[in-house]
Amino acid sequence: MSGLRPALRIFAAEALKQHRRLFGQPLVVFSMLVWPVLQLATTYYTLRPVATASPAAAHWPLSADPHRLLAFLATGTLAYAFFFSLVQSAWHLSFERTTGTLELLFLSPAGRLTLMLANGAGALVQNAWLLTCFTAAALLGFGTLSVAAWWMYGVVILALLVPAVAWGAFLNSLLVFSRDSAFLYTILDEPLWFVSGVRLPNFALPAAVRVIGTAFPLTASLTAIRGALLNAEPLSALAPTLTWLTALSALLLAAAALLLRVGEARSQRTGRLTLI
Amino acid sequence: MTTGIQVRDLRKDFPVRDRGLFGPRTAKTAVDGLDLDIPAGRITGLLGLNGAGKTTTIKILATLLRPTSGTVRVDGLDTVADARAVRRRINLIAGGERMVYTRMTGRENLWYFAQLYDVPKRQVRTRIDDLLALVGLTNAADTPVERYSRGMTQRLAIARGLVNDPAYLLLDEPTLGLDAPIARDLRRVVARLAAEGTGVLLTSHYLAEVEELCSHVHVIADGRHLAAGSPAQLKTATGSHATVRVTVPNPSPAIAEVAARFGATRTPADDGAEVLTLRHPDDIAGPLAAAVVQAGGSITALDITEASLEDAILTLTDRTARTEAVPA
Repeated sequence: MSGLRPALRIFAAEALKQHRRLFGQPLVVFSMLVWPVLQLATTYYTLRPVATASPAAAHWPLSADPHRLLAFLATGTLAYAFFFSLVQSAWHLSFERTTGTLELLFLSPAGRLTLMLANGAGALVQNAWLLTCFTAAALLGFGTLSVAAWWMYGVVILALLVPAVAWGAFLNSLLVFSRDSAFLYTILDEPLWFVSGVRLPNFALPAAVRVIGTAFPLTASLTAIRGALLNAEPLSALAPTLTWLTALSALLLAAAALLLRVGEARSQRTGRLTLI
Repeated sequence: MTTGIQVRDLRKDFPVRDRGLFGPRTAKTAVDGLDLDIPAGRITGLLGLNGAGKTTTIKILATLLRPTSGTVRVDGLDTVADARAVRRRINLIAGGERMVYTRMTGRENLWYFAQLYDVPKRQVRTRIDDLLALVGLTNAADTPVERYSRGMTQRLAIARGLVNDPAYLLLDEPTLGLDAPIARDLRRVVARLAAEGTGVLLTSHYLAEVEELCSHVHVIADGRHLAAGSPAQLKTATGSHATVRVTVPNPSPAIAEVAARFGATRTPADDGAEVLTLRHPDDIAGPLAAAVVQAGGSITALDITEASLEDAILTLTDRTARTEAVPA
C-alpha cells in the first residue's frame, strides 16, 4: 500500500482516532490553551524584571522591549508545545500495547512510517491549533511581528511543522516497541526547554548546552521562526539554519524508518509486541 | 498460482534469557516442524492443549511472528518476503474484549480499519453497514464502544476482522466469553464465509464448535503435528468409542456371564442394581440389551454416550506424553 492517496487515508484515520482518544473532551481543549499560557506568563513575569534591566538589555537588546520579550517567549512556548505534544502522542501510542490495538496496526498492510507520521501529525494539529491561533493573535495584537516578505509566513509554518512531524515519527518509532517509555516524559520535558532556548536566547546558554541543543530540531526551528518573525531576516540569512533543519528532519525520518524496520523484525522474532 | 495456505516444516523458537538481564540466552521451541494446508473455502481446525503452539502458529500465519525456519505461503506468497501482500489477503480475530478502540463508536472503529486496509472508498460505507448488520450492531453503530457489553465488543472485533474482506480468516478462540446465542450466530457467519470461498483456520477450546464447523482438523502438541483428518476419522483413528451403560436391577451369575462375554465392566449401583459399561467401536447397545434380557435380567436404564472429539484429542496427547516419558 504505497502512494499518496492511501497515505492520506491513514492520516485521516489517525486524526479521527487521536481526536476521539485524546482531544475530544472539552476539558482537554481548555487545557491545551490554559496550560501553555500559564507557562508563558510564569516565564515572562520571572524574566521581565531581569531582562529589561539595562545590563541585560545591553547583551540582549530584544529584551528591553516588554512586547518583543513577550513575543520571543510566546514563539518559544508555541514551538515547544508543537514538539512536546509529539512526546505525549508517542507516549500514548505506546499505550496501544496494553489495549491490544498495537498488534492490529502491525497486522494491517498500512505503511509503518506512514502510520507513525500520521499519528504524530494527528496529535500535533489537534494539540497545537488553539495555542497557534492565540499566539498569532497576540503577536499581531502587540504589533511585534517584523517579517521580510509575506511568504516568509509560509517558511515559518514549514520550519515549525516539518521538523515537528519528523520528530514525532522518530519518537513514535522509538517508543512503539518499548514497554517502558514513561521515562521520556522526564527526559524530554525540562531538558527540551533548556537546551533548545525556549526561554532564553541561545547565546546565553553554556557552550556545551548549545552543542547538545543543535541535535534537537526544536533549537533550529526556534532560531528560524524568531529570525523570520521578530527580526525580519530574509530567506538568505536563514538559509544555513533551514538547511540544518532540513538535514535534521531527513535524519530523523531515516532513523524512524530504520527503527521501525529493526523493531518490527525484532518483535516478530521475540513475540514481544503483545507483552504488557 | 498455488492457492490456499501451505505451511511447511515450520519451526519457531523464542529466545529466552534464563537469569537476569545478562544471563545466557536459550531458545524455547513453540512450533516444531509443522506441516499444514488450509485451502480456500474450507474451515480447518487446529487443536491442542494449552501451550501446544496454536496461537504461535496463527501469529506466524498472520505475519506477526517470523518463523525460525520453514515456510508459510499464502496463495503462493511468502509471509516473510511478501508480508505486505499477505496482510491484504488475511485477517485475524482473537477472543477477548481487546482489539478495538473504546472511545470510538463501532462505525468509527470499522471506518478506521477500512482506511488502514485501503478498502475502496466507494465500498467503505456499504461494507461497514453490512458488517454491522452481520454482527447485529446496526442499532449500536454510533455508540462509543466503551458503552458496549462484552459480547457486543467481541462482535465488533469480529466485524473488524472482516473489514478487508479477507481471503483467509484466522480465528483464535473467537467465541471466548460469548453468550451461547451469539457464539451460534458467529458459527453461522463463519460457515457462510467458508461456503462463499473464504479459507478459515480455527482454534477453539469448545470442541463441539470445532466438530460442528471443521471438515478437517489438525492436532498438535508441544508444537508438533500429531494427527490430521476429519473429526470422525480422528475419533476412529484414536479408538475413541461410544460408551453403552445398561442398568440391571436384578444382577445374577447369568448377567455376569453376559458381561464377561461382551467385555463389559460391572459396577454396583443403588438398591443392589448393577451397571454394565461397555466401550465399543460398533453399535453394540442393541445386542447387549438383548443378551441381558435373554439371560433373565431386566433393564431400568440404557445410556449411549457417543465418542467425542475431546476423547480423541486427549488420547492423542496422552499417547505423546507417554511416548516421551519412556526413557530412550
